[in-house]
Amino acid sequence: MFTSRRQFLWRAGGGLGGIALAQLLGRNGLLANSAPQGVVYTNGGLHHPAKAKRVIQLFMNGGVSQVDSFDYKPELERLHGQKFDPGSHVEAATSVVGSVLKSPFTFKQYGQCGRWVSSAFPHLAGCVDDMAFLMSMASKTNVHGPGSYMMNTGFILPGFPCMGAWLSYGLGNLSDNLPCFVVMPDPRGLPYNNMGNFSSGFLPVAHAGTVIRPTAPDPIADLFPPRDATFITRKAESDGLALLQRMNRDYGRDNPGDSRLEARITSYELAAKMQMSAPEVMDISNEPEETRKLYGLDDPVTAEFGRRCLIARRMIERGVRFVQVWSGAGGPTKNWDNHNSIIKEMPPMAAAVDKPAAALLRDLKRRGMFDDTLLVWSTEFGRMPFAQSGEGRDHNGGTFVSWMAGPGVKAGVSYGQSDEWGWKARTPTYCYDMHATLLHLLGINHKKLNFRHNGIDRRLTDVHGELIPEIMS
Amino acid sequence: MSRLSTLISFVLFVTSVTASAADSSTTAVDFVRDVQPIFATNCYRCHGPDVQKASLRLDVREIALKGGDDGVVIVPGHADQSLLFRLVAGRVPHKRMPAKGELLTPQQVQTLGAWIDQGATWPASASVVLTDKMDHWAFKPLTDPAPPPVSDAVWARTAIDRYILAKLEAKGLHPAPPADPRTLLRRVYFDVIGLPPTPEETAAFLADRSPDAYEKVVERLLASPRYGERWARHWMDTVHFAETHGNDEDRERPNAWPYRDYLIASFNSDKPFARFIEEQLAGDALYPDDPQATVALGFIAAGPWDESSQMGILDESIDKKIAQYLDRDDMVQTTLCTFDSVTVGCARCHNHKFDPISQADYYGLQAVFAGVDRAERPYDPDPALFASRHALLAQKRGLETGHYIANASPFDSKVQAVAEQWASGLASQGSHWTVLDPQTFTSAHGATLTKMPDGSILSGGTRPEIDTYTITATTPLADITQVRLELLTDPSLPHNGPGRQDNGNLHLNEFTVAASTAATPSSVQPVEIASAKADFDQDNWTIAMSIDHNAQTAWGIYPQISKPHTGVYVLKQPAGFEGGTRLTFTLEQSHGGGHLIGRVRISVTNAPGGGPMLDDRPLPAAVTKILAIPRPQRSEADQIELARAYLRTQIDGKIAALPPAKRVYAATGDFKADGNFKPPHGPRAVFVLRRGDINMPGDTATVGALRCVPGMSGTIDLPKEADESQRRAALARWISDPRNCLTWRSIANRVWQYHFGRGIVSTADDFGHMGATPSHPQLLDALASELLRHGGSLKHLHRLILTSNTYRQSSQLDPAAVRVDADDLLLWRMNRTRLDAESLHDAILKMSGRLDTTMGGPSARQFTQKPGVHATPVLDYNAFDLESRDARRLSVYRFLWRTMPDPFMDAMDCPDASQLAPTRSISVTALQALAMFNDRFVIRYGQHLAERVTRERKTPAEQVTRLFELCLNRQPTESEKNGVVEYVAQHGMANACRVLLNSNEFVFVN
Repeated sequence: MFTSRRQFLWRAGGGLGGIALAQLLGRNGLLANSAPQGVVYTNGGLHHPAKAKRVIQLFMNGGVSQVDSFDYKPELERLHGQKFDPGSHVEAATSVVGSVLKSPFTFKQYGQCGRWVSSAFPHLAGCVDDMAFLMSMASKTNVHGPGSYMMNTGFILPGFPCMGAWLSYGLGNLSDNLPCFVVMPDPRGLPYNNMGNFSSGFLPVAHAGTVIRPTAPDPIADLFPPRDATFITRKAESDGLALLQRMNRDYGRDNPGDSRLEARITSYELAAKMQMSAPEVMDISNEPEETRKLYGLDDPVTAEFGRRCLIARRMIERGVRFVQVWSGAGGPTKNWDNHNSIIKEMPPMAAAVDKPAAALLRDLKRRGMFDDTLLVWSTEFGRMPFAQSGEGRDHNGGTFVSWMAGPGVKAGVSYGQSDEWGWKARTPTYCYDMHATLLHLLGINHKKLNFRHNGIDRRLTDVHGELIPEIMS
Repeated sequence: MSRLSTLISFVLFVTSVTASAADSSTTAVDFVRDVQPIFATNCYRCHGPDVQKASLRLDVREIALKGGDDGVVIVPGHADQSLLFRLVAGRVPHKRMPAKGELLTPQQVQTLGAWIDQGATWPASASVVLTDKMDHWAFKPLTDPAPPPVSDAVWARTAIDRYILAKLEAKGLHPAPPADPRTLLRRVYFDVIGLPPTPEETAAFLADRSPDAYEKVVERLLASPRYGERWARHWMDTVHFAETHGNDEDRERPNAWPYRDYLIASFNSDKPFARFIEEQLAGDALYPDDPQATVALGFIAAGPWDESSQMGILDESIDKKIAQYLDRDDMVQTTLCTFDSVTVGCARCHNHKFDPISQADYYGLQAVFAGVDRAERPYDPDPALFASRHALLAQKRGLETGHYIANASPFDSKVQAVAEQWASGLASQGSHWTVLDPQTFTSAHGATLTKMPDGSILSGGTRPEIDTYTITATTPLADITQVRLELLTDPSLPHNGPGRQDNGNLHLNEFTVAASTAATPSSVQPVEIASAKADFDQDNWTIAMSIDHNAQTAWGIYPQISKPHTGVYVLKQPAGFEGGTRLTFTLEQSHGGGHLIGRVRISVTNAPGGGPMLDDRPLPAAVTKILAIPRPQRSEADQIELARAYLRTQIDGKIAALPPAKRVYAATGDFKADGNFKPPHGPRAVFVLRRGDINMPGDTATVGALRCVPGMSGTIDLPKEADESQRRAALARWISDPRNCLTWRSIANRVWQYHFGRGIVSTADDFGHMGATPSHPQLLDALASELLRHGGSLKHLHRLILTSNTYRQSSQLDPAAVRVDADDLLLWRMNRTRLDAESLHDAILKMSGRLDTTMGGPSARQFTQKPGVHATPVLDYNAFDLESRDARRLSVYRFLWRTMPDPFMDAMDCPDASQLAPTRSISVTALQALAMFNDRFVIRYGQHLAERVTRERKTPAEQVTRLFELCLNRQPTESEKNGVVEYVAQHGMANACRVLLNSNEFVFVN
């Protein structure tokens, strides 16, 4: 009955009926054997053929200053030190409006596409012909918490599933041995909203991001018994698992027809597999010297972020669907929230990220992984064209820059424009549009990936979202 | 009232006839033939059955002709005045329709124009059939039906059984046989109290041959304090209660727990449900003499709160306003989902698409909560103390808002007379201050200091990060006892100062005084300061810190910005020289971030006791000013001001004399401002936001409830002078009204859900059209009516359910029934449920013999904590001492962190309280298996369980039997016993315990 009911649901509900069942069974393994027929034709997509199967997202926590990175504004040089007067009401979140502040960095054009890049990002500057830039992203808020929620979940309120959770829910696992959705926070601390940004929201908790901290003593919680539990020997563990599964099978025989009981048996088998796979994915000792250098592991400035980028690549290679790598902790410092001084606070952040991010892009490309892996670089909002505290900048949801690269992404293009000061987007691109486009590349129609919660069929893109054909190849 | 609308789209006409090729302006245009196809192809996508941008839809005649957010769009007879025509014809600057897709052909535009010009004739038959949104089971009055007839009257002992059996019989199904006693006992224990029975309790139950042996167990469990703890936890899910703010600044709410204790006490005392509702929404107004009714207001504040947007950013910003609307949105949704199972949130941006809830209804509900925020609210558990404080606070609030309480009005001549006496007493306390005339004044870091006519120094120009002001002045006084700093406001400063920081604050790190004779300014001697007092000290930034020789600490005045402040420094010994004293003051401000003094004036006195003080603090500037005016010359306004100061002193004094109040995190309109988070002082204006957009405010919202409950108007009429709590009281009474069919069905359904694992309506928060259909609508009404008849006693409802034969069925599978009803919607067997996170955790504690059943109080912090870089600390759930008392408390008493939940509980599907959780999902994943198998709590308490069974029994076989009895409520079979004994012999009992705690049989309840 279990099998037939599952088949019935697949037939009855197409993909989503199957997804509803996925919650019941847990996503691992049980569904892998019963993939819907359509998958063959859609290259893994849910609604149409997918161009990409996996995603690495680099998330810059705190709000990267667009006018000091990729959105060059000569007008700020001309107006430097003058009152900022765009001709309409100016509002800053945490400060009084200061005078216009030019970028302390020099800008140059790079690549065939001629993308302007500031001197803070010399390595990424060399990759611009592989990237598609979203030059006028916009947010509905100027506050970190809501802004970070918005860029991750599409809503400015807590409690909504983030993109990784939606992908886990919609597409499921590529591998039984590793989690579907992995998050690697900055070791200096969790980002704004803490675990909220990786939450499954109202989706089952199975779809939440699994936090992995490669440099921590225990990179994955509960992967192994606690160190002080020395009575759990290897033999006790394997005999115990055998005893457990025997008891569970006996119980299942006496209580037939309950897929949850079978799912729990399977879950312990998968857990054992994960114990084998997870340490291996984080062990980079066999990576060649050239690769380690490429990611900057030989330099204390770049080693930490570089390690997480390299591990992200290894995870993707081994079947993780979505990896999110964070730069910057929550709080007022050690992130991209550069209120006090762009010249002092931004270069260390940029230097840590620039080389590893460029390395990741190059590595994915040369390994042919751009056939099915998207690389996305994003942040929760941008910063103001005028000064705060002398040489810093306040939050600005009006315009900011994100970029992406990989299959289905048009290389070397820029989409959207901010105004002459980099204050507001002329043609705003919201997270809805970016998410709709990402989902589209993954074979998902963003309007059809729904989950009913409190009477509303919720989706990642709320009631919005337009594809951005200009950046799609 | 019946409101027509849009549930079912049912286009009567589908036509392939395209617009006539003839000249439409002269040919009669036929709506069905010529116009409707244009609408269907080009407009329905955004203005049709699924989407109604600008609240306009062109498939419904009535709505199309009435218009949407932009008003009328079709003016019959006048295409040129019709917005619809002007938009498609490109006659509106910067806007054209269709906004997406291809523009209309000139021919189509002409057709539409001609149709309107010809009178926009639209046959009623060519419209989508509108459905009455009220035509839905949930919006029908509650019925009290007689139980249906059944053929097996023996099985159907109770009314509940008859409702269930009637449906089963109709499908040819039979109820499952009764569960065996051990299974039933384990089920009812976990269900009612969230803990397993002990082997001794099981033995006693099995030995009890009396016919009501089971009923006695039910009564005992319902009377157990554990019952309230278990069901309070369900309620905490429902209302998304946690003890931190959530969001990016996930700060603790150290006083959220009293609400949790209130819930436990309420369930345990079987509080009538109507009163339970009323207390949680308006206990302060409806039950003012019951302190616990104030604690109940924790309900409104249970959800998350966005500190960054509410406190961290500037007050008038759009982001702040958005945050206030969203905060009320949470209050509204929590209230209506919890009590009435309707999803009003859908009406935030537009009229509810499916349910009879309008945008006006929704914003009317927002207006109910317009006078409260989430903050700490004082209360006194002792009712007498509660009453006296209540009265004093009312006087104080009256003084602030102008709604004066009798005998506490500054306009009262008697009060003024007493205030005069009081003032003269103050004035006689000491002599007056002499304002110094600064001679030199320098900034060490480049600020521009300017001397003002009143002798103050104003700082302007560049704002350095840090600064030190050095000010010198000469005075004839030779016996100076005190120095006074007045920090003054100035329009040139942020928020008018008195500081130069963006938020108006300042930090004076060190203040020093030196003196020389006027003649020899170079031979300066330091003057020692004995003590310092200010009219106001910022929390943790007191004026004493400006003389503590510690450059890390300072005096600050936040959040009391925008007003002057006074600090007085008392010298150790009188200072000065005959013949004139030259004083040098250094004001070191090294905090950074521009925390600098904006404007300062320095005075000195030689009075032995210094200047007048009020409650041991310098007088407020306003009072000082009045005291300086001779009595006869004081104006009426001065007298009122004095009376006000007097009253404030008196009331504050009396309040200060009371024992300190307890605090609860709850809804309140009265709290101390913190940063930009300020009390509302009466209801804030709430507007009906078009499309939910903060930039498109429409009419002012009118306080109200919903208009979709039959037999109730839903309007709330309040006298003009009614304070904000009356709004909540009115809503509370509307919800608790016996006529409110939503309320009583909602709670009956929730109770049923927690007993059976699924509600009669499986969407417990949504009874609307988008929610599930009730499996047994008559049973639901019968339960709701029963509840009403029994004074809202939930225990009565539990009793009925628990003693029904329906509940006592086995959970065994019947293959024949599976074919008819695979999901067991009709309850032909009992549902097997997985232990929820709390039951799992608490059962392990209980079985280990180490459960601590202490009730109530501050939460058990099952993590270690150190400060983070910002408000949110760093938690470690793995470094926590598992042997501590906190580790052994029932999990309902765990401290609940919103954005950093306990990873073990999280893996077991415990909701994180960012959203309402009317039901819990049951996930099965490899990560969950790892958590169960390796979590240190499970491992450690497995060890304790092992110690217990080896201590309590001698032989390995007895020990294993004991283990099975404790964990599974049964004895092992011979082969099970042999298998486990053999395993224990090899690996020890603790490893065996680990296995049993991971077994399906332990984790599931049959």
